[in-house]
Amino acid sequence: MTWLTWRQFRPQAVTALAALAVFAILLGATEPHLASMYATSGVAGCQGGACGAAARNFLLTVSGAYTIVFMLGIACVIVAPALIGVFWGAPLIAREFETGTYRMAWTQSITRARWMAGKLAVPGLAAIALTEGLSLLYGWWAAPIGQAARLAPGSNFPLGMSPFSLLAFDAHGIVPIGYAAFGFTLGVTAGVLIRRAVPAMAVTLVIFAAVQVAVPLAIRPNLFPPAHATQSLAANFSGQQQEGPGGEFSLTVDRLDSQPGAWIYSSHAVNAAGQPAGVMPAACVNPPDGDSMPCLASHGFAVAVTYQPTSRYWPIQWTETGIYLALAALLAGFCYWRVGRRLP
Amino acid sequence: MTAVIETEGLGKRYRRLWALSECTLSVPAGHVVGLVGPNGAGKSTLLNLAAGLLAPTTGAIEVLGAPPPARPAELAKVGFLAQDAPVYAGLTVAEHLTLGARLNPGWDAEFANRRIDWLGLDSGQQAGQLSGGQRAQLALTLAIGKRPGLLILDEPVASLDPLARREFLEDLMEAIAERELSVVLSSHLMADLERVCDYLIVLVGSRVRVAGPVDELLATHHLLTGPRRDPATLPAGQQVISASHTDRQSTLLVRTSEPVLDPAWTVSAVGLEDMVLAYMRQAAGGGRRRDRLEVQR
Repeated sequence: MTWLTWRQFRPQAVTALAALAVFAILLGATEPHLASMYATSGVAGCQGGACGAAARNFLLTVSGAYTIVFMLGIACVIVAPALIGVFWGAPLIAREFETGTYRMAWTQSITRARWMAGKLAVPGLAAIALTEGLSLLYGWWAAPIGQAARLAPGSNFPLGMSPFSLLAFDAHGIVPIGYAAFGFTLGVTAGVLIRRAVPAMAVTLVIFAAVQVAVPLAIRPNLFPPAHATQSLAANFSGQQQEGPGGEFSLTVDRLDSQPGAWIYSSHAVNAAGQPAGVMPAACVNPPDGDSMPCLASHGFAVAVTYQPTSRYWPIQWTETGIYLALAALLAGFCYWRVGRRLP
Repeated sequence: MTAVIETEGLGKRYRRLWALSECTLSVPAGHVVGLVGPNGAGKSTLLNLAAGLLAPTTGAIEVLGAPPPARPAELAKVGFLAQDAPVYAGLTVAEHLTLGARLNPGWDAEFANRRIDWLGLDSGQQAGQLSGGQRAQLALTLAIGKRPGLLILDEPVASLDPLARREFLEDLMEAIAERELSVVLSSHLMADLERVCDYLIVLVGSRVRVAGPVDELLATHHLLTGPRRDPATLPAGQQVISASHTDRQSTLLVRTSEPVLDPAWTVSAVGLEDMVLAYMRQAAGGGRRRDRLEVQR
């Protein structure tokens, strides 16, 4: 059975290997230069306040073509599971129904359950290997940029600022394994139920895209309860600040000084008592130099931050991967059961 | 007489439409059985049920004395050539033989290779580039190569041109000649089956209209021509299958095991094709429009 599955899968495998090779060549050709720039930038061994400047300088030197590769790499890793679901998963069984070859396959001397298991195993494992391979390659390439972007507030690489950044999280670590397994089995399931390849491909794409939008926005933030911290208004406040003529003001930050890379859920200004504040004291309104920050700081104002600590990165990666793998196992089990019994 | 396929009140419904209903029949072992009937008679559904591809909605079916094949050992005993002879378009002829060898423990590689050579198929050619006849031959080679005890062919020649039909059936006879193999093949055209089968089952609207060894059927059906006469006045042993009348003359197709002695009749033999058409027409006369017979050739 493995032979037949492998033989049927061979054209897709060749395409996938070619894509992986192109990706590897692109990253492999640019990585040495990137690494040498990082080594000479001084970001690696920096101390305290010097880090921000060094990181910002480094990121400015790697802009341009590297920005494109940086974004392209993320896009490849994120799109791969969707393409796998659409082009490997959906036609896998649907095409057998369309061409009638299932009637030949199911009347050989092996059970349908075994046939299905072989069909799932070979392309399924290849899907996981391919996606995780892309992700590891990309992670290796993008590591210097990620390191620097975490140290340089407001840099030109917003996605690198935190490992939790929306698209960056999806392209690193082990979650690509879960996405690949889920995308593939989702496609197979659509094909088993719809039995026509093109509609199954469309349904796969729509459902997969919906899940990939819903999980980061609605589920990932709630996997672990966030932590709370108060960040004082340092001299070099790097957040956003808005002021109104009557002293109304708001302060938000997109990074936590004490923990670069933490995932900021929300932030707002608080007064010395720790209560939410929206109006500044009269003394601080319209300061002569235009900067009300030192005044606010001296009155004990600060920014309260709700965030996910960087230490939660791997627990969240594992949990989310587990959720996707469980979904994939459910779908694979359904296909196995559905094909194993006689057609109704 | 042992049966290779035996059904009892077998029915299969797709959503609201019954493709087969209340079908009770028995396919004897050791024959090349022709299952003939108009489109929509349920032939294909019946054979797919027998191959274990479909689950029946009602009734029971036994294949080789057991439920339709599901386990490897049972699957190995039944060869199935599906309608339109599906093959994997991207695999070569040789790879199809590898498929047969890998998926069937009883694979007869020597037979399969010899047959492909003899058919003149290029083993390196992709199956998608084969002609309809060659594809059917390849699929048939796979079905026989697993050394089944029962070979089921669902409309094996429906998509072939007349020459390819004849060649396919001749090759089929040759391939099964030296094997202890029961064969069931279906068609909506009697002409296809006439040369190959020695047992006939006429299925119209899920019902068996007539079944029996071909020579027995030929011996018991007669065409009577004589002065116009009401068919109801015939002797009890003579069953009228079809009747046509002109002003003066009646032509009757009757089934009887007794010799026809009435000197008023001119008795002549009837061909299988005319006989089957008469049964189909008789069934169609029952008022079921979807059983209208096909006259295409």
